[in-house]
Amino acid sequence: MRIFRILLTYEWLNFRKDRGLQLLTVLTLVAGLYGIYYGTTEVERQRNNIEALDLLTEQNVEEMKEKFPGEADAGDIGYYHSTFAVHHPDSWAGLSLGQRDVNPFYIKLRLLNLQSQLYDTENVNPLKVLAGNFDLAFVLVYLFPLLIIALSFNILSVEKEQGTLPLLLSQPVSLPLMVGAKLSFRLLLVLGLALLLSVVAMVWARVSPDARVTLWLAVVVLYCLFWFGVAFLVAALQKNSAFNAISLLGIWLLLAIVIPALLNVYVSVKQPVPQALALTIKQREVVHGGWDKPKQETLQQFFARYPQYTDTTEIKERFVWRWYYAFHQLGDMAVEDLASDYLHSLQARYDMVQQLNVLSVPVNVQGIFNAVAASDLPAHLGFLQSATDYHTSLREFYYPFLFNQVPFTHADFAVEPRHSFTASPDYGVGLNGIFKLGISVLLVYVVGLLLFRARSAT
Amino acid sequence: MVKSIAKKEFISTLRDSRFMVLSAAVLLLLLAATIVGLHSYKQQQAERELAQTTVNEQFANAADRHPHRMAHFGSFAFRPKSSISFLDFGLDSFTGASVFLEAHRQNSANFSQAQQSASLIRFGEMTVAFVLQMLLPLLIIFLCFGAFTQEKETGTLKLLLSQGVSLRQAAWAKVLGYSQVVALVVAPSLVLASILLFSAGGFEPASNALLRMLLFVVFYLAYFFIFIVLSVVVSALHQRSSTALVTLLAIWISCCIFVPKATANLGATLYTTPTKAQMDADVHEEVAKGIDGHNEQDERAEALKQELFKKYGVNSLEELPVNFDGIRMAAGEEHSSHVYQEHFDELTEVFEKQNSISVYAGLLNPYLAVRHLSMGMAGSDFEHYIHFQNKAETYRYNLAQGLNNIQATRLQYGDKTTRLSNSTWKEFEPFRYEVPGTGWALCNHVVSVVALLFWLLLVCVGGFKLIENINVV
Repeated sequence: MRIFRILLTYEWLNFRKDRGLQLLTVLTLVAGLYGIYYGTTEVERQRNNIEALDLLTEQNVEEMKEKFPGEADAGDIGYYHSTFAVHHPDSWAGLSLGQRDVNPFYIKLRLLNLQSQLYDTENVNPLKVLAGNFDLAFVLVYLFPLLIIALSFNILSVEKEQGTLPLLLSQPVSLPLMVGAKLSFRLLLVLGLALLLSVVAMVWARVSPDARVTLWLAVVVLYCLFWFGVAFLVAALQKNSAFNAISLLGIWLLLAIVIPALLNVYVSVKQPVPQALALTIKQREVVHGGWDKPKQETLQQFFARYPQYTDTTEIKERFVWRWYYAFHQLGDMAVEDLASDYLHSLQARYDMVQQLNVLSVPVNVQGIFNAVAASDLPAHLGFLQSATDYHTSLREFYYPFLFNQVPFTHADFAVEPRHSFTASPDYGVGLNGIFKLGISVLLVYVVGLLLFRARSAT
Repeated sequence: MVKSIAKKEFISTLRDSRFMVLSAAVLLLLLAATIVGLHSYKQQQAERELAQTTVNEQFANAADRHPHRMAHFGSFAFRPKSSISFLDFGLDSFTGASVFLEAHRQNSANFSQAQQSASLIRFGEMTVAFVLQMLLPLLIIFLCFGAFTQEKETGTLKLLLSQGVSLRQAAWAKVLGYSQVVALVVAPSLVLASILLFSAGGFEPASNALLRMLLFVVFYLAYFFIFIVLSVVVSALHQRSSTALVTLLAIWISCCIFVPKATANLGATLYTTPTKAQMDADVHEEVAKGIDGHNEQDERAEALKQELFKKYGVNSLEELPVNFDGIRMAAGEEHSSHVYQEHFDELTEVFEKQNSISVYAGLLNPYLAVRHLSMGMAGSDFEHYIHFQNKAETYRYNLAQGLNNIQATRLQYGDKTTRLSNSTWKEFEPFRYEVPGTGWALCNHVVSVVALLFWLLLVCVGGFKLIENINVV
């Protein structure tokens, strides 16, 4: 134990002399802090933008009141008035932004058919989203492994190359103890940095202090352990520094870039989603076909869904709103199957990734982070479902005015339903992921130890 | 002498089994990326072509309708993929594929690949460009890091120099030798890609595709050359192979991983993107100050009416030789489209400002320069996306105005019921998108071209100057 401590102290002295490593550590710290700053400001921006939507709705209501003084036809209101379905970021979203920049965080809705409104996108700079988010998750998943590699690619080989290894081993120090001490020192340094950044991020973002704190920290520790395990494994081969550096970077490249890219190809080929374009074309055809069909036919179909409004009196006018909204409703009903197919295919894509992520630890860890922060595809699908439900509730709010032909008054705006949605974290994915991560960590250390044994034996 | 050194480097690299394994892996990935890219290109292109044909037929064969009903029925523009885009998906996976084109309203481009994917897509896509931009430099680093350090470590550098070769000549020879090796690795895949490109046949003229492909290859060759010289220079500046390697890997990480993301994020932080909701509200407010096509009591409509009365010397709308409904609609459309276009241009400007950080960072980082050029040639960059959006908007505007004109000339004032025969709709040309010429694409990336040239000059002049002055002990 005393020797172990001496070795640690020696490593500390070495580190204090090595400007390069210090620079790298400071750079990682700065990158981490920038990641935290970027993530939290991005979420703050989204929050502010969501807040501004309330004002837009208010202005719209004022405009409606001005445009339709006194009692109005609910049909006019449904056509000109718009509200928003909003997807609030979770308090953890700033740590791992996931797909929150690609998918819109609000949807502008009118009483018209839903399917022509549900998939509208937000103003997004494609070059920016291609480059991706520089959030804490990126720093932890991508950059920390590189720091670990830089710190430990030559733990054993450098002693050999400088000729200090025989000198060291002539002391009462065993090889595994020496490697263990060197790795421990670096582990302490890296873990200290990673945990410090995580805690800073949690405080900065004012996350809700629940079980996710433990989950996040545990994942960070295990992930760093995994990469040290990989470094240990490569060191066990006892090759020269250049070989180690290339191999470690090669493994990083494979796990963090090449395998994910191949997985992405595999998933999109295996699980295509052709429904989107078909759906958007079909709903338009049905909605606009409504103008050309006999009014009674449209209404009969509509009353099958909403029997409470059944009314057999024939519409004589060229145009009435209730008929107009009925064929908009029919447009949605015509593509109900396609729409649910589409959302299910997207979910199936996500599920497929969850199964295949055993092939790449970084993909698994990014998945855990996104699940914890509720910022991945399922969160957006949840939002789409919630927005759909909201649109239904808007219909249920307006239909009595339309079909019972009740005038819409200014006071009715106040009781119109409003929408708010926050996706909940997916603990299932988190726990499943941490289980897989644990196995990966175990695996690298076992293989590393076996290799060390085999090497020392020969 | 230079030739024999180059030959020696070439042959000894081919004898190195580790290098052969790595380059075989890269070659395999390149071939896989080519085939995968072509597959997904064909799949998406087929989907979009089918969708476009469907909506074109729907428009041409629509029922007998009132022209303004038809303007609301509208059409769709599906973005066709440029034929070289299978080599570099670029922004295509992050931009929408379909725009609904209707009267009075400009809709967003929806259904991007990224929105239909889990966050896995953010790890990057397996394309030829990805292999060429990220992995090839790594292979080059591996190939060249020992160029001088190995000779120093074994003491052969002094021997070499004693033969009367200058350091500069030796460096050139090594660069030459390594260039041949790199050419050997990338050539098969680029040749295959070219054959596939021209056998598959795109929707754009072959000459445009050929020119784009040619420039695509040239830019990448320049990029590889920069990395080769850079690696040789770094190797010459170091005494030990391992430190040279670590330096080069650090350069690679910062150029290919760190800086691209940092600059894009910095751009977004510096210039705030307005939300679509806010933009739509602003457009709506400004449009409301102008003429409203659907509002007969509008003051500006009244002014327009008086103007027409004066022009035709009549006193009532019924006497006008043209249908005032159509005229009013056209005036409204003109006004609202003008306002929208202004706001859209402002938004584009914000995006361009955000992107300019990455573009100018190309002067510090050749990876960024070649990435922009690669996307530009592949037709998957930001400018091509905006070009498509503008073409779609122009088509939408002309369609709406064409139908307004029909309403103005073929229908009576106040007529909301007449349905024109469906042969009327066949007068309209369907939406057709053509990828702009190579010259246009290149002009968007002048800074990146300059950056690449600057880097070539820097490594060739500055780099070799550094090599000349190294200390050979």
